Amino acid sequence: MEARNFLESMIWQQKSLLSIEGLSSEEILFILDKAKSLKESKGNEEPIFHSLRGKRIINLFMEPSTRTRVAFEIAAKSLGADTISISGEASSLTKGETLKDTAMNVQALGADAIVLRHSSPGSPLFLSRIVDVPIINAGDGAHEHPSQALLDIYTLREKLGDLRDRKITILGDILFSRVARSNLWGLLKLGAKVTLAGPSTLVPREFEKLGARVTHDPSVALKDADAVMLLRIQHERQQASHFPSLAEYANVFGLDSKVLSAMKRNAIILHPGPLNRGVEIESEVADSGRAVILQQVANGIAVRMAILHLCITSEKSSHS
Amino acid sequence: MKQKTVEDFDLLGGRLVDPLSGINKVGDLHIRKGKIYHNLPKEGLSKKIHNIKGHVVLPGLLDLRAHNRVPGASKSESVESLTRAAAKGGFSSILVMPNTSPYSDSPATIRYIQDRIKQTSQIKVYLSGCLTLGSKGESIAPLGSLKDVGVVAVTDCPNSPANNEIFTNAIKYAKMFGLAVIDFPQDSYLSKNSDAHESPLSLKMGLAGNPRMSEEMAVQRATLIARHLGVPIHLSSLSSAGSVQLVKQAKEYGIPVTADVSAHHLLLTEGEISQYNTSAKTNPPLREEIDRKALIEGIKSGIIDACNSSHEPYSEHLKDVEFDLAPKGATGLETALLTFIEAVEEKDPFQLVVEKMSYKPHHILGLNQPSLRDGSEAEFVVIKRKENWTYNPEHGESLSRNSPMDNYRFTNKIIFTTSAGRIAFQSIDIKI
Repeated sequence: MEARNFLESMIWQQKSLLSIEGLSSEEILFILDKAKSLKESKGNEEPIFHSLRGKRIINLFMEPSTRTRVAFEIAAKSLGADTISISGEASSLTKGETLKDTAMNVQALGADAIVLRHSSPGSPLFLSRIVDVPIINAGDGAHEHPSQALLDIYTLREKLGDLRDRKITILGDILFSRVARSNLWGLLKLGAKVTLAGPSTLVPREFEKLGARVTHDPSVALKDADAVMLLRIQHERQQASHFPSLAEYANVFGLDSKVLSAMKRNAIILHPGPLNRGVEIESEVADSGRAVILQQVANGIAVRMAILHLCITSEKSSHS
Repeated sequence: MKQKTVEDFDLLGGRLVDPLSGINKVGDLHIRKGKIYHNLPKEGLSKKIHNIKGHVVLPGLLDLRAHNRVPGASKSESVESLTRAAAKGGFSSILVMPNTSPYSDSPATIRYIQDRIKQTSQIKVYLSGCLTLGSKGESIAPLGSLKDVGVVAVTDCPNSPANNEIFTNAIKYAKMFGLAVIDFPQDSYLSKNSDAHESPLSLKMGLAGNPRMSEEMAVQRATLIARHLGVPIHLSSLSSAGSVQLVKQAKEYGIPVTADVSAHHLLLTEGEISQYNTSAKTNPPLREEIDRKALIEGIKSGIIDACNSSHEPYSEHLKDVEFDLAPKGATGLETALLTFIEAVEEKDPFQLVVEKMSYKPHHILGLNQPSLRDGSEAEFVVIKRKENWTYNPEHGESLSRNSPMDNYRFTNKIIFTTSAGRIAFQSIDIKI
C-alpha cells in the first residue's frame, strides 16, 4: 500500500476500531494528527486520497443515525472507496436474520470493512470474532462511540490546545451515553480532568471509580470548566423511571444564557447532536459563538477519514 | 427413571465419607441387587471388581436447581441429556425447575415430564411445579393437584412473584400440602432487563445493571413472610454479600429460612463477562470478589445450607448473539461438584461436599437421606483425587455448551455415579 508510510505501520497496528478504552494515548494522538493533515491538505492530489480505491465499505446501521452515517460515507468516498449503507429497517434483520448471519453475508458480498451502529453493547467485538474484515464501531448501545469521541477531542484540541489538566465537563444523561464513555476514556488518556454531571439517576457515583469526578450540581460542574459537552436526554432509552420530564430537565440542568454567563469567559460548548433545543440547551446558546457544534460535525469527516484509512490499510487488514 | 438392569459389582479400598451415618473410613463396597454391603457376601466377589484405593465415595448428591427444557426446548436439553449430564457431574438425583414451555403448572404437563423421565432418565428426578400460574405472579397455581401427581416443591424460579399478596397467599396455600417452597430472590422491577451485576464494570461495558439490592430486598421479603407465616422458605442461588448477612440475621432470629448458592458463584466473579462472554451471563449475575468471599464464608459457617448447579442449558444459536440479546443462564450440572471443591479450597473438602450437596438438599425437600451404610440402596458418587484435567463442554453430555467453566483445569474427577441402586455413570477411566 503505497499510501501508507513507515510511521503509520509502526504506530498504528489496529485492524478494527472497537473502543477508545482499548487505545493508547499515542494511538489517539496519531489518529488526530492524521485527521489534521487530512483536513489541512488542499485538494486531493496526495496519494492518501486514493488509498481506499477499489475498497467496498459497508455501513451497517441498525439504529437511526444522520451525522455519523453521512460523515462515514463522505469520509469513505473522499478516500476513493465505494460505500453501501444498510439500515436496520431495510435489512433482513426485520425478517429475523441475526446480526451474525447478516455480517457473514455482508462479508460474502465482498465487504472490505464494516462500519457498525448497533443497540447492543459489545456488538462490534462480537462481529470482529465472526468476520475477518475491519470493524469500525459507530456506536454500540451505551458502550462506546469512538469516532464521536475522537472528533470531540479533535475539536477540543483545536480550540484549547493541549488537553493536559484542562477541565472538561460532560453534562446530561451519562448512564445511557456511549459518547460520554468514549470521551471519558479518551480525555483521561490525554491527561484532562473530566467531570460527569447530571441528575443522580443518570450519573451514577460509580463513575468515580473509572476516574471521573461526579457531581449532580450543575453550577459546580460548570464553574471552572474549560469546555462543557452537553448530552441529549435520550427519550428512546430511558423510561419515566429515570427522570420526571423534559421541562424539569430544562429547569434544573438546561444551559441557558444565564448559566453561560457564570462560566469561564472562554469556555466552549460541544454537543454531539441531535440537539433538543429548549431542553439541554437554549437556542440562543446553541447558535452563539461559544458553541462549536457545527465545527464538530465538520471535523467528523477528517477524523473518520483518518480512522478508515488507518484501519483498512493496516498490516493486519491487508493480510486478511 | 428408566429401568436398567441391576448390576452386581465390587469397589475395593475407597475412602467412604458419610458423617451422618458415622462413616469416615477406608473400606470395600459390595453392590448386590442394588444394595450396599460392607462385608464380602459368602458367594465371594462379583465378576466386576475395581480397586478404588485413594478415591473418595460420598452418599448420593441432589441438585436443587436444574432447569428442564422438556416440554418446550428439547434441542437445548432432553430429559436424557439432562440426566446424563447430572450423572456425569456426580448427581444421583436432581430437582427440576418448572419453567418449561408450557410451564409446569398443570398435572398434564407434570405427567408428560414424568413419562419422559420414566423412558429416558438415568437418575432420580424430582419435580417442582409453578407457585403461580405460568409463573406470572398473578394467580396461585393448582398446588394441591400438582402435589397429587408427585411434585415435591413449588417455585417460580427463575422469577419471583412481584405481587406480595399473591406471593404470601401462594406460600400459605402451599403449606397446607407440605410442599417445599423455593424462592428465587430477585425484585422483578429492579432486575428487569438487566444483563450484568451493577458495578463499575457494567457501567464501563454499557450493560444494564442488576443491583445487589434487587436480591437483598427479595431476601428480606421472603424472610419476613417466613417469619409471619411460620412457613419454611428456601432461597435459591444467592449471589450478594448482603444476602448472606440477611440470611444470617434471619436464622439468628429463628426464622425458618434456608439458602443455597450456585457453584459457579463460589469460584467466578463478574470479570468473566468483561469480553462479553455470554456463557458467563448467569442468573443471578456473577458479582464481585467481596460477594464471592462472603458466599464461601456463608457456606463454611453454615449460613448457606446448600450448593446447586443452576444448570440452565441454551442451544448455541441462542447464546451466540449480542450480549444483551443472549438469555441469562449457564450450564452447571457437569461441573458443580468439582467447582465447589475447587472453590472452598479445603485440604479435605468432602464432609462439606456431603453436607451441602447431599444432606441439606434432601433435608430441604423432606426426602430420605441416601447413605453408605450396610444394606442401603446404592446411591453414591466416586471421586478420583489429584486428577488434573481440562473441562470442555463439547465432550459433555449436555446438549448445550453455555458453560462458564469451559477450559477450566480441575484437580479432581468424577468416575462413578449410582442412583437408585443402578450405575448411572462410569468414566472410561474405571473398568469394572
